[in-house]
Amino acid sequence: MIRDHEERVVWYSDPKLWVELFVLVNLAFLTLDIYIAHSINQFRRSAEYVPFYFSLCAPAVLAVGLAAEHKWHHSTVWRDLGYLVGWSAVAVGVAGVVFHLDSRFFYERTLKSLTYAAPFAAPLAYSGLGLLLIMNRMVDSKTLEWGQWVLLLALAGFFGNFVLSLTDHASNGFFRSAEWIPVISSAVAIGFLIVPLLMPVTSKFLQLCAAVLGLQVVVGVLGFCFHAEANLRGPSVYIWDNLVNGAPPMAPLLFVNLVLLAVIGLWVIHKRTSKEFI
Amino acid sequence: MSFRSVFIAVVIAFGLIVAGFLINRARPRVETEQPTEALVRASGKCAECHVRQQYSVVHEYEMSVHAQKSINCLDCHQPAQNQKGQEHHGFVIVTKLTAGNCRSCHEGIYQEFVRSRHAAVSWAAVYGEQGLKPEQVAFSEQYQPGGVKGRAPHPFVTLEGVSAMTSGCDQCHSIGRPNDDGTIGTCTACHSRHTASVELARLPTTCAQCHMGPDHSQIEIYEESKHGVMFHAQESLLNLKVAPKQLTTKDMFVPTCATCHMSGINGLKVTHDPSERLSWFLAAPISQKRPNYAQTQTAMKQVCTQCHTTPLIDRVYAQAEKVVETTNSRVQQAQEIVTSLQKSGTLTGKPFTHPIDFVYFDLWHYDGRTSKHGAFMGGADFVQWHGNYPMLQKMVQLRSMAEELRKQPRGRAAQSGAGQ
Repeated sequence: MIRDHEERVVWYSDPKLWVELFVLVNLAFLTLDIYIAHSINQFRRSAEYVPFYFSLCAPAVLAVGLAAEHKWHHSTVWRDLGYLVGWSAVAVGVAGVVFHLDSRFFYERTLKSLTYAAPFAAPLAYSGLGLLLIMNRMVDSKTLEWGQWVLLLALAGFFGNFVLSLTDHASNGFFRSAEWIPVISSAVAIGFLIVPLLMPVTSKFLQLCAAVLGLQVVVGVLGFCFHAEANLRGPSVYIWDNLVNGAPPMAPLLFVNLVLLAVIGLWVIHKRTSKEFI
Repeated sequence: MSFRSVFIAVVIAFGLIVAGFLINRARPRVETEQPTEALVRASGKCAECHVRQQYSVVHEYEMSVHAQKSINCLDCHQPAQNQKGQEHHGFVIVTKLTAGNCRSCHEGIYQEFVRSRHAAVSWAAVYGEQGLKPEQVAFSEQYQPGGVKGRAPHPFVTLEGVSAMTSGCDQCHSIGRPNDDGTIGTCTACHSRHTASVELARLPTTCAQCHMGPDHSQIEIYEESKHGVMFHAQESLLNLKVAPKQLTTKDMFVPTCATCHMSGINGLKVTHDPSERLSWFLAAPISQKRPNYAQTQTAMKQVCTQCHTTPLIDRVYAQAEKVVETTNSRVQQAQEIVTSLQKSGTLTGKPFTHPIDFVYFDLWHYDGRTSKHGAFMGGADFVQWHGNYPMLQKMVQLRSMAEELRKQPRGRAAQSGAGQ
């Protein structure tokens, strides 16, 4: 594939495309995730359908943009559709946070209520994906800065994982000690991924970061198995009820998901630091 | 690889992990120290929704001793023996609780309650044996002979109808309702639901929900008595929250209903069967001594001695028993008048179909009971102006009505009564 006049880029080595696909797949998965999450609330408010329908439509719009860019070489179509979806996602995320402020935590503001509060930070996943789309259009993917932005957003995701796994498992009283694994694992991920953003690092440190990310994949898959097992032996005779009210089945896969994003960031940082710093 | 980068990574990771442990440590015990996973999740998970739907329920629970002792929503709301649970957002629960749920932790208290007249006898006072299982009737008869067995529903059930019973009598007498799970009654009548409060059960107003009005005017008598007057004057100085077995006269130097009839003050035995300290069947038209008269009177006098001297207690009892004797004799006379009218065929028909039935009923049911209760509870005005005086008045009325009836042709009394 010819990307521009100066450089020939094969599609699989184009980080910009991978980020675009990452956002598309994530928005599509969020359709199912939101459906399960808001089913707990039985979609009591009509606004709860907004992220559901947005997640349903946005991937299709992005797919059209990608086709326009890569098949018909209409970069402006790709750019404008991306901005549309990106800014809309930011808006959906911010509005979601405002709606989630209605939760118990904001009545009582205690650690106890924080544990059971509607995850007020969760809608920021939309804002994060939106910012990725916008950044992908505003920053040159061949620069170190692009890689650092991607890593920063992945880092924010791991921070979200840290808070959510801590509060979600706290609501379970850390009944099984294995529930501490994602808390510790995401804390380690944050500790390592923040360093390339703060200071120049060596390629060996980036390899260490990659190893830490490998650990996150194991934790994510293990968590998915634990959650599935808990839901299969849940109190209800209906699996759906156990899925909705029990351990969130998709949540641990967020670790694997964020690893993909962080790897893209580290990949570009590694390429650029090799040229610029090391 | 520079050490600085590794150091920063490790310090940040370690800091976050420690923060996580500290946050978890600060959480309430009720939510972390539970035997099962479901119980761990229950209190906060339930509260997250119910705090918005029924705030007071969650708030009451959070203030309760149950919450302090790590008893959470599911402990009480999980199906007890013979109860059918329903799926509720990932939990299997029962929404309508009975004494069966409380007994899983408070079996001894339930056993005392189920032997008392608050249990099956209370229900039978309205509905007779209806709804009670043979084994429940047999059990009750062991402790409260004649309270249930062979008892027919009260005539008012038919005469006043279902709505009067449901919104009227049931509201108090359901304290002894036979439940589908085979248990009897509900503890929440006195302790409330989510408050589950000992303090509430010790308040006179709690007993007064039912023990009030002309037919069982205990609260009115209490309010007139020195006990009641002092309670209202010094309520703020009392400590009503003390655990039952630790209660002393320092905490409650003024008694409420519960102090004398149930509490284990100064080390005395706590009981949920008020009959253990009652020596007479005062609610009956003609009062008899209870089978364990001496034992129960001694038990009550033991409570009295926590504050009073023996001569005073003996004098109060002697005077009160004189009132019982006099009241019995008056009711006996009234009963004889009505019985003689029935035997002679002057008064025929079903109960409560003639004005004389009501005069007689009010005489023993309102005035007779009031005078007897007033005598034991220090309510002078209730012995006299709400007891003996109206009894005297109704005796005159009764005699006059009986004379009138006898003058009428036979059978007419019933017809004229039915007409009214």
